[in-house]
Amino acid sequence: MDYFRNILGAPQGEMQATSGADTVERLCERVSSSTLLDDRRDAVRALKALSKKFRLEVGTQAMDILLNVLEQDRNDAEIISYALDTFYYVMSNEPTDEDDATPVNSGLGCEFTEIFIKRPENVTLLLTFLEEYDFHVRWPTVKLLTVLLSNKQKELQEIILVVPMGVSRLMDLLSDSREIIRNDALLLLNQLTKGHGNIQKIVAFENAFERIIDIIKEEGATDGGIVVEDCLLLLQNLLRNNTSNQNFFKEGSYIQKLKPFFNIDDEYAASRQGGWSAQKVTNMHLMLQLVRTLVSPNNPQNQTVACQKVMNHCGLLQDLCSILMATGVPADVLTETINTVSEVIRGSQPNQEYFASVLAPSNPPRPAIVVLLMSMVNEKQPFVLRCAVLYCFQSFLYKNEVSQSQIIQTLLPTAADANSITAGQLLCGGLFNVDPLSNWFSAVALLHAIVENPTQKEQLLRVQLATSLGNPPVSLLQQCCNMLAQGGKVQTKIALLMILCGWLADCPIAVSHFLSNTANVPYLISQVSSSEADDHEIIVQGLCAFLLGICMLYNNDTTEAFTKSALKQVIQNRIGLESFTDKLIQVAQNENYTRAAKKPHLYHKHPNEIVFDYEFTRLFKMLENEVLKAVSGTGSVNGRSPGGPGIDHYKALLKEQEDQVLALRKNLEEMQAVSSSSEKTVLELKVQVQQLKDQNSLLKAQKATQGTPPPAGTNSSSTEEVEALRRELDSMRLQLQDKDTQLMSMSSNKSNDAATDSSSSYHNGSSADEKPQGSDNLRLQEIESQLVSMTTERDSLNERLIKANEENLKLTNGKRVTEEEKAALVKEHQELKEDMETLKKEQDDLLVLLADQDTKIESYKNKLKELGHQVEDDDDDDELEEVEDNDEGDAD
Amino acid sequence: MSYAYLFKYIIIGDTGVGKSCLLLQFTDKRFQPVHDLTIGVEFGARMITIDGKQIKLQIWDTAGQESFRSITRSYYRGAAGALLVYDITRRDTFNHLTTWLEDARQHSNSNMVIMLIGNKSDLEARREVKKEEGEAFAREHGLIFMETSAKTAANVEEAFINTAKEIYQKIQDGVFDINNEANGIKIGPQHSPANQSLNVGGSGGNQGGNCC
Ligand SMILES: Nc1nc2c(ncn2[C@@H]2O[C@H](COP(=O)(O)OP(=O)(O)OP(=O)(O)O)[C@@H](O)[C@H]2O)c(=O)[nH]1
Ligand SMILES: [Mg+2]
Repeated sequence: MDYFRNILGAPQGEMQATSGADTVERLCERVSSSTLLDDRRDAVRALKALSKKFRLEVGTQAMDILLNVLEQDRNDAEIISYALDTFYYVMSNEPTDEDDATPVNSGLGCEFTEIFIKRPENVTLLLTFLEEYDFHVRWPTVKLLTVLLSNKQKELQEIILVVPMGVSRLMDLLSDSREIIRNDALLLLNQLTKGHGNIQKIVAFENAFERIIDIIKEEGATDGGIVVEDCLLLLQNLLRNNTSNQNFFKEGSYIQKLKPFFNIDDEYAASRQGGWSAQKVTNMHLMLQLVRTLVSPNNPQNQTVACQKVMNHCGLLQDLCSILMATGVPADVLTETINTVSEVIRGSQPNQEYFASVLAPSNPPRPAIVVLLMSMVNEKQPFVLRCAVLYCFQSFLYKNEVSQSQIIQTLLPTAADANSITAGQLLCGGLFNVDPLSNWFSAVALLHAIVENPTQKEQLLRVQLATSLGNPPVSLLQQCCNMLAQGGKVQTKIALLMILCGWLADCPIAVSHFLSNTANVPYLISQVSSSEADDHEIIVQGLCAFLLGICMLYNNDTTEAFTKSALKQVIQNRIGLESFTDKLIQVAQNENYTRAAKKPHLYHKHPNEIVFDYEFTRLFKMLENEVLKAVSGTGSVNGRSPGGPGIDHYKALLKEQEDQVLALRKNLEEMQAVSSSSEKTVLELKVQVQQLKDQNSLLKAQKATQGTPPPAGTNSSSTEEVEALRRELDSMRLQLQDKDTQLMSMSSNKSNDAATDSSSSYHNGSSADEKPQGSDNLRLQEIESQLVSMTTERDSLNERLIKANEENLKLTNGKRVTEEEKAALVKEHQELKEDMETLKKEQDDLLVLLADQDTKIESYKNKLKELGHQVEDDDDDDELEEVEDNDEGDAD
Repeated sequence: MSYAYLFKYIIIGDTGVGKSCLLLQFTDKRFQPVHDLTIGVEFGARMITIDGKQIKLQIWDTAGQESFRSITRSYYRGAAGALLVYDITRRDTFNHLTTWLEDARQHSNSNMVIMLIGNKSDLEARREVKKEEGEAFAREHGLIFMETSAKTAANVEEAFINTAKEIYQKIQDGVFDINNEANGIKIGPQHSPANQSLNVGGSGGNQGGNCC
């Protein structure tokens, strides 16, 4: 509502605005109605002159008319130039220097921009003006597009993207020989590429890297001015989070081209009494960040590895290390250089090796690592610098067993060289001095020297420390425990607990060393069971619980008092399972933990933020569950991380279940195959049995027929006949007997045949030999029981399948709910937008009304004047003079 | 590391015809069985040897989906070579070639070398477009033609290298203006006649693998 106040506020302002609105209206009319180009041009020029002071009036009244001019009068560069400038002033939210009295309304520019881009053709039209070489057209076009982009970035980006060759045309501006245009084009491209991956890629495709690096060179590299800064910001824009462009940058050998920019000569510092200029510091910072963008631990690993390799080969790493050791480098540049070196060497063995070989130009020469560590444990050094050194040290050790052993070696008695300062000495000193930050940095540094390296964990056990005179030396491990028990600052305690956890994890010997001092376990127990509930104390308690758990997990039962089961007993009795679990879970829920777990880089701003180490959070994540399992003694733990696991967990679960289902399905298929083949065998056997049965009954029938006397048909009985019949009968009896024996032998044959039969329905007792049939039955039973067990197995598999499916369904449901929620939010957003739209419209209407009223008031005033009333004078002449003045000021 | 020439390529064609797979096979010698829809454009690069000269290929693999057309059009200008790909198992991808060609001709520089590629030649059983049809289309429109398989790698090297040979020939013939980088061609930084003897006989030798 600022503009309302401006217009209606002071009487002076009222007059100005009134006459302004009036003049604008008259000028607009002239532009739209005049048939003479000269006339129109003059009117547009006057509008331009008024557009800063009467932004609102010009914006509301002249927009369409000026758009018309752009389309109709495009052959006249001068009028186009005035029109473009007018748009620029209306849209721009930059305060104009000539009247700083009126506060700039930043909302206004955005609103006018929105109106302007409602027709995307307007933007297309502007892009065609870029083809005009005339400075008076091209330059204001660049400026106008820039201001449109900064007002409505996303919308403009989408519009420009779909205009054929839109992005390309903007890129061509970088080749303009006129520096002003080129420099403004850099600003334009910065706005254009911000947060838009596809535009970034097109710009890169159009040779942006080459052009920008050339400009940086022309402008004097890091010694150059703000143009270099703009170039570096643009490079950063094109590369950040854009893997494709990073790959193109590397493949195009542009890393090699960055190298000379890091060649700082000591002359520079010497030639300037006050050290580096602010601009040079800024440029150097951006240059270093550019390198970091290419080797960030968050990039895909192969990408980072490839870039690291190139940086070593082309000597960029070497130059960076020289900056580390150079004199006169401002502290914040030095800090950023250390961070950069860290990421260039992190996980790359050749680069780590090179870094280890760098010597500081001290007398005697010392390894750069040692010099850096000296700063880390020095309270007087800036906090961010100390963080950077730790990060560098961690990166030096990351995934490199050789460098790990090099560091541990410097702690061992054999390597002791009384005269030189070693990394090991510095770390031990830092671990036990009075500065909690030094304790923390040193403990974490040591942790990284043994992480995932059992050999070095064991080596570190050998380290003995000399205490006060006359007392026997004490082991490093025990000294850590002693320190811990002494209390002290929370940061120190957390640091010591982290190194102890890291040390004992996966190292049973270290565990037994730890347990052999009978004071250690009771101390941990007392910590975990105490009920103090300060935010930091909770972390300490949780870490103590974790350490206890590790003592259980990696316990080889050599310490009698604290065997695995003894520890478990103690934890369950003295702390209680629930309480233990609670304390442990608290650790991962701490916001400092979440922060540290995000990325390896230490991006702390204040010493208070130093709590957890990235590598430690990984260890914790890995072992937390196992500890809980071991302590609770059951396979699964109840009440684990409520609401914690997140989508990844479910995904893993789903995958697991899918695999299971798949495996079960395969199993099932196999079982079904086996079952169907045995069913087939059973069927075949049944058929055989049936056949045998049929044969048998046939034979029986035959036997029956043969055994029955012939039908009595001829009864003309003579004795002879009877006799004959009798004989016949006898012989037939004989035959029958014969047949019977025959049958008997056949029967026994048959039962031999049936030896393979397994049908239980076969009960022919005629067989003399019972054994074969018994074995048949046995086999049959076996197969049957197999069948039954297979069926049950299949059923249970089916059941598991169903369960898995149900689980799937549940997850899908969950997803749908989330989607619905999202849709609701989108809708709400839409509604809010619509509300805003209406409000805006109302506002526009009000503006129009206001303008109307202004004119009316004006005419009333005139009438009053005519009627002879005394009215405060408007002084039209003054006004016109002012217009002329402005005009002269801006025309060139 | 140093090269005599640098050529910029684009790969175009309907979605799913195997553009990304062709690039992956060429740069990494791998095949990706799952369709990983390209969003916008992806970059890849490799060094090859032609006529004893090291030539760096910078390749932009574009999205075939219609919705990305306005983005991918920005890459026509500034490319020296284009691989126009269709899928021999899907006739519609062949039918769309005319549209692709019109688009390319309209937005690219007139000298751009276009290689027509019928991909998925390993799927002979599912073939819908005869090899002769591809040849005929190429002849009619003045393109080079090849059938490839991104899966078996058959002809993949050849497709990229033959395109480069054609561009190289055009340079020799003076057709390309090599000083105008907008044509997608760049002369190497250390390209001097003295260096060439190093590369003699290297043709076809250490192609492939990484270029640095
Ligand atoms: N059998 C066979 N399959 C292929 C071949 N080339 C690609 N495919 C398969 O075809 C599918 C699509 O391949 P992409 O390379 O992703 O397709 P694209 O052309 O890049 O698709 P967009 O990115 O959407 O434009 C994938 O499933 C590939 O595995 C081939 O030569 N033979
Ligand atoms: Mg693709």
